[in-house]
Amino acid sequence: MRRAVAASLFAVSCLALSTSATAQEGHPLSGTWSGDWGPAANQRTHLTVVMNWDGKNVTGTINPGTEGTPLGSVILDVANWTVRIEADAKDASGKPVHIAADGKLEDISSYHRTLKGTWQQGGAKGDFKLTRD
Amino acid sequence: MKPRHFAVMVLALLAAVVRLPAQQPTVPSISTTYDNARTVKFDGVVTRIEWVNPRAYVFVDVRDAAGLVLNWAVDIGNPLELEMDGWKRNTVRIGDRVAVEGHPSRDIARRAVATSLSAGGKRVFAPAARRAALVAAPAPRWPDGQVRLGPAPGKKGYWAATGVRALVDSTAARIPMSDEGLLVNITDADRVAPFQPWAKALYLHRQRSVLRDDPLARCLPPGGPRQFQMPNGFQFIEQREVGRILVLLGGGNRNWRVIYTDGRPQGQPADVVLGYYGNSVGRWDKDTLVVDSVGFNERFWMANGGLPHTEALHLVERFTRTDLNTLRYEVTVDDPRTYTRTWSGGWTIQWVPDREIQEYFCEENAESTFER
Repeated sequence: MRRAVAASLFAVSCLALSTSATAQEGHPLSGTWSGDWGPAANQRTHLTVVMNWDGKNVTGTINPGTEGTPLGSVILDVANWTVRIEADAKDASGKPVHIAADGKLEDISSYHRTLKGTWQQGGAKGDFKLTRD
Repeated sequence: MKPRHFAVMVLALLAAVVRLPAQQPTVPSISTTYDNARTVKFDGVVTRIEWVNPRAYVFVDVRDAAGLVLNWAVDIGNPLELEMDGWKRNTVRIGDRVAVEGHPSRDIARRAVATSLSAGGKRVFAPAARRAALVAAPAPRWPDGQVRLGPAPGKKGYWAATGVRALVDSTAARIPMSDEGLLVNITDADRVAPFQPWAKALYLHRQRSVLRDDPLARCLPPGGPRQFQMPNGFQFIEQREVGRILVLLGGGNRNWRVIYTDGRPQGQPADVVLGYYGNSVGRWDKDTLVVDSVGFNERFWMANGGLPHTEALHLVERFTRTDLNTLRYEVTVDDPRTYTRTWSGGWTIQWVPDREIQEYFCEENAESTFER
């Protein structure tokens, strides 16, 4: 059993290494972004954001899956590489919750560029950091 | 360990190893590496010669004013181009005293690119050395009259020595830029191509950072028109019996590309596996090979200087051999996610007679080259 776990961990490590070597050089927001947001360092909520540039708009999903939230609007200001993301999600009870995030792209030419800023989800506020996979 | 677990480990290791080269920062661009605004001048004794692609180096022991001997790595350029200029690997020998002028590395001590190297008072290296004039002749043809893109039977040669190494919109007047596509005046960016705002901002970022993040510097393939901007040239292998043309690249890790000329229809971008060289089908229009390509990934810069693109990129390339020594390359770029309109550019490529493309691997010039 331990060997099976070791093999699996090794496999995951190698695959992570291999995927980290790929890069997307197209639109700076296109791709899958991973990270988290929260009001404090010990209160974090995982985030996966998938964005796609269609030539006119950036579309996509927050936390894709059965409970994914479609992105409402994504505005990229190329003058300073700032991004505003808005979406309408639902909380655990099904109540509508508006999401508004303001961030800044950093290291835009790197494999793993980042998007950092403030995240507001309903009445909760915090910071967020996303790194492109 | 059970065979199943072993197999998982082997497969995972393979997946990692196959993609490892992308992580190796091996061949930064010349502009990124060297500071053209500064010059260095020194003389000393040759201690080592690294005659490797993509850049050859001469190592020189230099005595400073305090009498301390320091070893400099002097970049003398691409060996294939040096050989075309008449250099040989033994033009300079270990023990020779040489005088060097050049530009220093931006961030590595005792490393410079030479603009001139003299031995025994005689200048033996200058990048702008004049090459022998080519002998004029008509383009070779197949028995049915079709132009050959390769050498005539019994001859050797390949295409290289492009007069221009940057792709710009043909509606623009000449735009001053380096061989690597670095603009002399950044304000000329608007004339390079009809960028969408994000694409122009990204292009400017790449220019201002002196092409530091060029995927080619990580040994990723030079897809799109950039494959014909490589200093090591390329070769067409026309396999008429199977309806395809192979493009063998001298640069970019000896990559190859297939252009199908068997009449098959072009695939839709959504249907093809995305790659660096795309999915290409070609047809002859009199003496011009017209190649239609889609299916590009976004992991490369499609031309020197950092022109961006998306997966929507659609290229139509036209190759016209006007005589033995001249190939006109024209490309129409259609990527509505990156550019506001379709645009075209091109350049002329020269035949290198009586030579074959030489072995070239991007991964050479690894840091071990500079251990001293």
